[in-house]
Amino acid sequence: MPKIMSDDLCCNEFKKWSKRQLLEEARPKARKDAKKPAWLPRVVLADSFATRDALVVVFLRGGMDSLTTVVPYGDANLYTLRPNIAVQPPGSPDGAVDLDGFFGLPPAMAPLLPAYQANQLAFVHAAGSPDPTRSHFDAFKFMEYGNPLQPATLFSGWLARHLQTVPPLGATPLRAMAIDDLLPKMLADAPDALPITDPSTFDFPGNPGTAALRQAVLENTYALAGAPLAGSAQSTVDTINLLGTIDFDNYIPAGGAVYPNSTFGRAMKSVAAIIKAQTGLEVATVDLGGWDTHNNQGVIGGYMANLMNDLSSTLAAFHTDMQANMNELTLLAMTEFGRRADENVSLGTDHGHGSCMFAMGGNIAGGQVLANWTNNELLHPDLLYQNDSLDVTIDYRDIVSEVLQNRVNNTDLGTVFPNYTPAFQGITV
Amino acid sequence: MKRIDPTQTPIQSEDIQPSAMLNMSRRRMLKLVAGGAATLWGQEQLFAQTMNRLAQRKLPAGSSSVRAPADPTLLAVLNRATFGFSQSAYDEAAVMGADNYLEWQLAPELIDDSAADARLAVYDTLTMTSQEILNTYNMMNNVPIFQLMESVVVRAVYSRRQLKERMVEFWTDHFNIDILDNPVPFLKTADDRDVIRQHALGTFPDLLNASARSAAMLWYLDNYANVAGNAQENYARELMELHTLGVTGPYTQQDVQEVARCFTGWTFQNTPNYGQFIYWGPNHDNGVKTVLGQVIPPGGGESDGQTVLDMLAAHPSTAKFIANKMCVYFLGYDPPEDIVESVKQTYLDTNGDIKSMLRVILRAPVAEYLATPKFKRPLHYSASLLRSTEAEIANPLQVVFYLMVMGHGPFLWPRPDGYPDTIEDWGSSLLPRWQFASALFDGAIPDVTADAAALIAAQNPTPGQEAVAINEILTGGTLSLAEETELQQFIDSGSPTTDWFGLAASVPGFQHY
Repeated sequence: MPKIMSDDLCCNEFKKWSKRQLLEEARPKARKDAKKPAWLPRVVLADSFATRDALVVVFLRGGMDSLTTVVPYGDANLYTLRPNIAVQPPGSPDGAVDLDGFFGLPPAMAPLLPAYQANQLAFVHAAGSPDPTRSHFDAFKFMEYGNPLQPATLFSGWLARHLQTVPPLGATPLRAMAIDDLLPKMLADAPDALPITDPSTFDFPGNPGTAALRQAVLENTYALAGAPLAGSAQSTVDTINLLGTIDFDNYIPAGGAVYPNSTFGRAMKSVAAIIKAQTGLEVATVDLGGWDTHNNQGVIGGYMANLMNDLSSTLAAFHTDMQANMNELTLLAMTEFGRRADENVSLGTDHGHGSCMFAMGGNIAGGQVLANWTNNELLHPDLLYQNDSLDVTIDYRDIVSEVLQNRVNNTDLGTVFPNYTPAFQGITV
Repeated sequence: MKRIDPTQTPIQSEDIQPSAMLNMSRRRMLKLVAGGAATLWGQEQLFAQTMNRLAQRKLPAGSSSVRAPADPTLLAVLNRATFGFSQSAYDEAAVMGADNYLEWQLAPELIDDSAADARLAVYDTLTMTSQEILNTYNMMNNVPIFQLMESVVVRAVYSRRQLKERMVEFWTDHFNIDILDNPVPFLKTADDRDVIRQHALGTFPDLLNASARSAAMLWYLDNYANVAGNAQENYARELMELHTLGVTGPYTQQDVQEVARCFTGWTFQNTPNYGQFIYWGPNHDNGVKTVLGQVIPPGGGESDGQTVLDMLAAHPSTAKFIANKMCVYFLGYDPPEDIVESVKQTYLDTNGDIKSMLRVILRAPVAEYLATPKFKRPLHYSASLLRSTEAEIANPLQVVFYLMVMGHGPFLWPRPDGYPDTIEDWGSSLLPRWQFASALFDGAIPDVTADAAALIAAQNPTPGQEAVAINEILTGGTLSLAEETELQQFIDSGSPTTDWFGLAASVPGFQHY
């Protein structure tokens, strides 16, 4: 039998051949447009986020190694499985920062400690999608369409079906936004959803001197075009105008928060600015990729430490910046799968199964690591999933469903996740 | 995502026809057209040579402002058969007449395409086998991906074999393969060349047979892992659901499992000829199978799969599914049922001859489809703008970039159903189109230029008639009067010439064909 590809080869390609990567390589040099009016938050909606959170979904693409990001240092099997790359227990040189006597954060994740201690950040461990696939793409599909372990017949995203089953928060042209060039599968078929690579440049193109006139011509001609173009053109123009009122460039985060000057940092800063502007945006999705750490993982001062720094510093800045809005907002972070429990010969880790989710918000039951993980059991050789990986003991749909029902007032979870009965885990207070 | 449902009958033109006789006569006419063309133009080569000579003849010189209005029928055929109007393409077609132009396009191998070929010559991977690509570019290199993507732009804009390119687009979606599904980057080039392009205007059975043996497809739909005792159903299911019978076709889950067994052992070589199809006997399930009620006796080996392909290709449901999908692609979202029927019958009569089906479709009465224009997908949209404005693309990657921003990067649709073809899917993303049009004339797309001033100067319109001239340049005059009026008011406001075209290419009329 001619076997074509090893899984490991696949992953290098994955890093090289993501759509985003292709886009970045093809992208021409950006031009900066004219300056915006001064920062002025708007309050336009009678129906506010007091009754319904804004939902931010961060997708950590590439398969995040949860045994590093939230270290189960209390499970001694970890150090047998990973003699070289495990984060050491608290008190050791470069050791973890303790969370609860069993789990800890590696130094690069320590910026998240204040949010955790403020009970506004929870971790959910040995969690994720139950689908056994170890293909990034299949795992994305199952997780984002929301149909793991089911026939691949669903082609809309779970976030899209959420938006389809709750009324809009107001007369907004933009209910959902992906900080991306294309809508992620989570938002496939979502109403009033746009992919916006950079909200600060979602601008009407061309000569500023004639922009108003040209915009009027388009509004007039598209108004005659009938459905769906007439509505779509109007949404686009309205979203251009909506985002145009937000001076992203001069936005000053609250509480002295400083976002890293990274793609992820800038994206989350934009999301903060839009949520504060109360535009009626209900959902924002942001990606942070690069978690496919097969070689020289570098959990202390290396590759993955840098990535974790970007993640934790950004989320910490978001937490500080959004303090006044914490009761009107929930952030969820997830990844398509975790990595194998044991390290490989390249001092990295290969594709595994269970991973870890993050939940942040004023009504999240924070300050805890939710996990069905006591003593040493989950990393014990007899309990590993397929003999090599952390198991999924909490389905990501349980966490998502609880947030959707309790924080975003969705009463139709059967549509969001067909053929699944979620078991709430107490992630919301 | 809306799929084409061959059982969902659109409003039938038969239902609204005033008399049965009219219906009959048109039906007969369609039939005549379908069968007649081959007789009329039996000597294809002679015909093509004649047409090539005609194409070199120029229309009488003179001021463009006195140019006769475009012939709507010819314009409609041109808009269907190409990636968009351009004056030079129209002039060629006008010399030939619609039917002759169609026959000329149906013999692409005889059309001189040296200009496009010269632009493609820089892409060394296009002529390589998968093994050669692997030898030349290591596994971390994206040159093969970008070269193939760029070739799509070059061909859509510059190839004179436009109908072939339209069919290549159609079949690329029909037999969709995600180029990011490793190792497809090293296999898709061969699939594009030896399967899709090779058979785009051939016969459907040949195309299907080639696709079933394409390494890229064998990988993408997992048939490489389909082995006796552990059948992988992915290819079997999509083969029937998406490639042949259609999702409402007469097959069951049991058929899917049986078809999967028939294809056990169909895989491709690793070495020495990477990507070469092989039938690997030891992995084949040699038991008896029953597919669509037909018993396939044991011991058939490789012929089991071929038997299935033959059955599916000859099935009336396949004929209907392909006919309907082609009609939707060329004619409109709800093609007249009698035309679909006629195309289906042509499929069955000619063993799936694609050219014969195209003759029926593209000679359909123009009024049938002019009433419901189609929304251009991003490749069509950008190619039509670049064609009509005679843009110079020094770096096609810049256009690929905008296609990705518009959500239509070549070979990037991840699912086996291919890029959708509905206004609902594409109509929600307008800003990237407006940005592309504006950037093109602002000179903001590096190495891609269109000269607005030269285009308008060549038309030399009288003051107050600039919008009419721009309409002529971009579409041959199909923008609406309301759009022309709005545009003229904008022009009269003293706006600069460079703004005129970007705006004209952003109005709804230019999004349709």
